[in-house]
Amino acid sequence: MNGPVTFDELAALMKARAGLSVDPREMERRPDATFAEFDLDSLGLLGIVAELEKRYGSPLGNEAEGCKNPHAFLENVNNQLTAAGV
Amino acid sequence: MSQAISASTPSRSARSRPRPPVVTGVGVVAPNGQGTERFWKAVQQGTSVLGPVTRDGCTHLPLKVAGEIDGFDPSALIDGRFLVQTDRFTHFAMAAAEMAVQDARLTADPENPFGIGVVTAAGSGGGEFGQGELQQLWGKGPSFVGPYQSIAWFYAASTGQISIRGGFRGPCGVLANDEAGGLDALAHAARTIRRGTDAVVVGATEAPLAPYSVVCQLGYPELSLSDDPQHAYLPFTTDACGFAPGEGGAMFVLEDPEAARRRGARARAVIAGHASNFTGTDGWSQSRQGLARAIRDALDEAQCSAREVDVVFADAMGVAEADQAEALAIADALGPRAATVPVTAPKTGFGRAYSASSALDVATAVLALEHGVVPPTPNVTGVRHDLDVVTGEARTASLHTALVLSRGLMGCNSALVLRSAHGDER
Repeated sequence: MNGPVTFDELAALMKARAGLSVDPREMERRPDATFAEFDLDSLGLLGIVAELEKRYGSPLGNEAEGCKNPHAFLENVNNQLTAAGV
Repeated sequence: MSQAISASTPSRSARSRPRPPVVTGVGVVAPNGQGTERFWKAVQQGTSVLGPVTRDGCTHLPLKVAGEIDGFDPSALIDGRFLVQTDRFTHFAMAAAEMAVQDARLTADPENPFGIGVVTAAGSGGGEFGQGELQQLWGKGPSFVGPYQSIAWFYAASTGQISIRGGFRGPCGVLANDEAGGLDALAHAARTIRRGTDAVVVGATEAPLAPYSVVCQLGYPELSLSDDPQHAYLPFTTDACGFAPGEGGAMFVLEDPEAARRRGARARAVIAGHASNFTGTDGWSQSRQGLARAIRDALDEAQCSAREVDVVFADAMGVAEADQAEALAIADALGPRAATVPVTAPKTGFGRAYSASSALDVATAVLALEHGVVPPTPNVTGVRHDLDVVTGEARTASLHTALVLSRGLMGCNSALVLRSAHGDER
């Protein structure tokens, strides 16, 4: 995964923002697994996007909020952050 | 079941009426005990846990005495993911619902996902959570407000979370109608069951002891501002000076008697009758007529005479005019029985938790019927009305029928008749 946000950081945010205990290695191993399978709802993902926007000082937009699985989400977020020079 | 509803539905006939729903599970989170066993022990002993308000941000406010819940750890019963997105009032509701569901040994049936519904009453919603997020908004900016603010503050949050967590996809609802909502929620659940739902997880919880919520309550002239826990809440006495607020509440599993029998569930009590009405906010004396009418209508639905009422759980506002109206309403509705029936208000020992107050009274009534014990009214002595208020010690009695009364600060009056399940369901 190219870019600043890792599965470890995503898992930590899922814990902090949505109260979920998720193994980052499991997310990494299962590219097809959806956020729903990890019990993350759309409001939880909104909170994670808001936190990343603050943390990296860069807007991430609606597309990231609409991602259905962790792999697609990190790819989208990291591409945007890389393009923004983060 | 309420008169407003029964007026618009076809008249009931005793012959065609299905058997009334039964309580098969009870869960309690209260200032004097978490879980029905600890709660009942404290209630029976007449222990008072009213004390100084200690919650952060509240200690400088004029409200000095309340019933706080100490050492509540919802994570023992509820997943973190449900806790992070909800307010304390929903933590109470989920914990009490979990206890009730375990008590009833109720599980969602994947073959019949719409067989179990959820109904709660809530008077103020998630004030503490909402205040935190609004402080983020004004203190730091919109992007610091968490998305769960959109659901956590809402009156319906507890119903939704209990439904999602338990997989209870049957008819769901929330009543935001004042203190009496705790009784009206049970009536709504009973109607839901009569329309064909097997079971409803139902009750009410409140968490009004946080800064914003306390400030809102300061506008109520009925709120006691006494700083003495032994004297802050003394209904039916010449020292009455308002009520002390409390927090927590009770949840129940209410069930179709036939459905309960099929799965071998134990009936703990029968919800035999209910009625409610509204007499406005133009002085407490008006509630006399409304409350008397509610009692008569509830007894009528229960096909119960005044003589059969074995115990009354009073609303017990703690305001002279309101207490007088309640005493007169009981006399109007029960006639000669009013002077002899034991009347109690255990809430004087742990505070009045708004819509959850009447739900806790129902939990107490179920336990009283089961144990044959009328718990006392803590701190109260020297009753000035012509009522047999149980003070000091609990009283042993053969109890078959309990009448629970509730009035709201905004003018609702409600009465619920519970009957013992002995001999009825087994």
